[in-house]
Amino acid sequence: MKLNYNFDGNIACRTILQDQLEKLNINYQLLDLGQIEISDNISEDTFEELQTSLKRFAIHIIDNPKGQLIQKIKDAIIEIIYDKEKFPNTTISQYLADKLNYRYGYMTNIFSEYTHTSIENFIIIQKIERAKKFIIDGELSLTEISYELNYSSVAYLSTQFKKVTGLTPSMFKRVIDKRRKLSNTE
Amino acid sequence: MKFLKLFKNSQVFKLALGVAILVVCYFGSKFFSQMQRLTSTLELIAKSNETQLELEKLLSIINSYDYSLRNYIITKDESYLQNRFLNRGIIEEGIKKLKILTVNDSVRNKDILTLEKLINYRFKLFRETLIAAKSSNVDRLGLNSKLKKSNDYTEMMKLFVYKIINSERLKTKFQNSNHQFELQDSLMTAFLLIILSLLILLLSFNKTNGDIEDLKQANDKLMLLNESFNAAEKTAGFGHWMVNLETNQYTFSDNMFRLMGVEPNAFESTLENSIKYLHPDDLEYVTQVHKDSLVNHQSTSIVFRFLTASNEVKYIMGVGSFTKDGNGNMIKIGVNYDITDQYKRTLELEENNKELKYINSELESFNNIVSHDLQEPLRKIQMFISRVEEKEFDGLSQQGRDYFSKIRIAANRMQTLLIDLVNYSRTIKGDKVFVETDLNKIISDTIQDLTTNIEEKSAILHIGQLPIIKAIPFQLKQLFINLVSNSLKYSQEDNIPQININSEVITEEEVSNYEIINKEDYYKIVVEDNGIGFKQEYAEKIFLLFKRLETDPKYSGTGLGLAICNRIVENHKGFIKVKSEPNRGSKFYIFLPKGDLV
Amino acid sequence: MITHQDPMHILLADDDEDDRTFFSEAITELKMDNKLTLFKDGKDLMDYLELPDIKLPHILFLDLNMPGKTGIDCLKEIRANTRFKDVSVAIYSTSSSEKDIEDTFIEGANIYIKKPNDFSMLKKVIKEVINMNWQFHTSGLNIETFFFSI
Repeated sequence: MKLNYNFDGNIACRTILQDQLEKLNINYQLLDLGQIEISDNISEDTFEELQTSLKRFAIHIIDNPKGQLIQKIKDAIIEIIYDKEKFPNTTISQYLADKLNYRYGYMTNIFSEYTHTSIENFIIIQKIERAKKFIIDGELSLTEISYELNYSSVAYLSTQFKKVTGLTPSMFKRVIDKRRKLSNTE
Repeated sequence: MKFLKLFKNSQVFKLALGVAILVVCYFGSKFFSQMQRLTSTLELIAKSNETQLELEKLLSIINSYDYSLRNYIITKDESYLQNRFLNRGIIEEGIKKLKILTVNDSVRNKDILTLEKLINYRFKLFRETLIAAKSSNVDRLGLNSKLKKSNDYTEMMKLFVYKIINSERLKTKFQNSNHQFELQDSLMTAFLLIILSLLILLLSFNKTNGDIEDLKQANDKLMLLNESFNAAEKTAGFGHWMVNLETNQYTFSDNMFRLMGVEPNAFESTLENSIKYLHPDDLEYVTQVHKDSLVNHQSTSIVFRFLTASNEVKYIMGVGSFTKDGNGNMIKIGVNYDITDQYKRTLELEENNKELKYINSELESFNNIVSHDLQEPLRKIQMFISRVEEKEFDGLSQQGRDYFSKIRIAANRMQTLLIDLVNYSRTIKGDKVFVETDLNKIISDTIQDLTTNIEEKSAILHIGQLPIIKAIPFQLKQLFINLVSNSLKYSQEDNIPQININSEVITEEEVSNYEIINKEDYYKIVVEDNGIGFKQEYAEKIFLLFKRLETDPKYSGTGLGLAICNRIVENHKGFIKVKSEPNRGSKFYIFLPKGDLV
Repeated sequence: MITHQDPMHILLADDDEDDRTFFSEAITELKMDNKLTLFKDGKDLMDYLELPDIKLPHILFLDLNMPGKTGIDCLKEIRANTRFKDVSVAIYSTSSSEKDIEDTFIEGANIYIKKPNDFSMLKKVIKEVINMNWQFHTSGLNIETFFFSI
């Protein structure tokens, strides 16, 4: 039997963090995405223990400042993509600069250096990733999806989708459906 | 229909005739009995008359006897008495006759017997009188009384006879009037009989005449039918034959003879004569099938050959079936059909088909060669060219570099050519599956595919609302890709390319120019650009294979693009037209039928 | 966290020697510090993948048209084995037919590359593919819905 499922990565991540931190008796406070405030000083051993236990869930503790910044940029972007309400009225570059208190130019340099891609490209990839989820769920029409993701038109979404995946949204849907059918019959 | 009517008519007529004959018979028999009765009354009358005559005769004899006696008494002349025995004999004969005449009438018979007694007594009186008169001493007184008594007796007898005669006369009169009446009756019957017979005769004549007319017409029609059937058989290459299973009698139609290559009725219609024209290789099989069918009465259907008189081989399809003729005899009717042409055509078609299949598979492998095998080495060449250009270019002389860039251009051109060729051959071969296709979607796919080219030229596209049509989607996409890239390619350098794609209403001018029967039958899609255009006189040429108008190397092309477009539109049973003006742009008009394309 | 500095392990199976050369030259010129292993056909590749103690590749480039075991055969075997579920499979073929693209995606390929006819284009394509693949491996994107056709 194959089950298709849906999940909220944030909640999953928070739950895992809570479990692991409580297991090690650490006093903590979950802040914004990707940040935890630990109130007491913890020993080297406990820290390492935490690091290993989280690694199993592919959660890495980032201990260099540039990495932390990149993570913050990514989190900020994902936040506005996954919550339409938070989508800024200004440009995204302005929004990021305001939110993270860095020059946008600086952020783009750091980002490209570490991620092989630009912030703009990262935004596009994330948006298309979300579009993919919407398309697979099949509940929204392309028009609704383009509205949900702040695209000016369906055509623009389609074009960007094709650019990122090489496929049209309909071909993408077809491939996914056929793939599921194939694995279900096995 | 007509025959049935005729048949029904004759049935009614038969009934009428039967009734009429019955009526005539009735009247006839009635007439006969009347005649019979008439004869019997006549006989009765005759008998009665004779009786009367005889009676009167008797009376007259008695009278004459009386006179003779008186005369003797007066004259004593013996000669008066000489007839007395003779008279007596006549009377006896008369009585005898009367007895016979009245044998059927008991009353009258009794009367005659009484008369006989009376006569006998009278004669006794005669004798006594005579004896009295003859005696020598005549007793005058006695004689006178005797005479007086005789006279009275005679009178009484006369009265008696007259009474009989009277009653006979009355009878005769009654019979006569009866006869008279019956005669009238018979006359009436006879008249009726004659009228009726005449009527039947007339009716029969009329009917027969009508029937003959109908029969003649039916016959004419039959002849016409027969003639047209013969003509039809001849034109259609049919021939038929029949065999009566009881008499083993064969009949061949005219064309049956022609099928065997001889004139109609060239020989007697027999099985033996006809099988002479069977192809020797088919003889055994055909006769066997025929003979078997005559036994089991199963329909037959065979293909065989005739070898005609002129040694021509004819392929014949023969079917035979059994039925009963009008006399209830089982007959076999066969129809032979000359399928020589068909057979040969089928053979030819099969041959062509084989060849076509072969050509198709050749084309398929040609396609594979072009699309894959040929492109492989070309791609390698291009790769190596780019390698050399990147790494070794600096080491080359100027001329070497020139040569090298020419190699690159040639290789690139060859690549486009190969791609176009594959596209073109894809429009020729099968896989023509027509489905509901949204042209709006086709256009948006087209634009996506051409995004790079469109952006490169910063072209502006205006797309109107387009219809959904039954089409081969990949071919339509190819069509618009070719048209749009054509417009992009032949754009004017100092002008931003503008391309409009719209669905338009067919104009009256187009209806008459392009022989469109109903403008509702077609969709008209227009692709318009503001490119370099061309002279309208080339409008037909540009859709031909490898026809290129531009020789300027900056407009690279293979001459296949628009030929592919034309081909695709033709595949959809439509047509493509173009209107163009140099430096103003071109307008391509695609007409696609709305109806079913299959 | 895989960083820029971590070497990316790449496999290529292609029966065409020139293509293998072009590919490895392109990888070298990209100076992306990647480890490339070449296989001359599908059988060699599968034999290697079945070794128990190898480090699994990040991305595998597969030519479709190979003698013996074809690219599709390899793809099916790989996708049938959960051990390779995190390996991105890139089809590397001369064919650009939509049917081939769709079919291989359905069978579980992530990336479809039509072999370019220009070396600089080849470099560009490989770079884009590696970057895109890297995004999917590092940004928590769903590898199962990762398609990239170029």
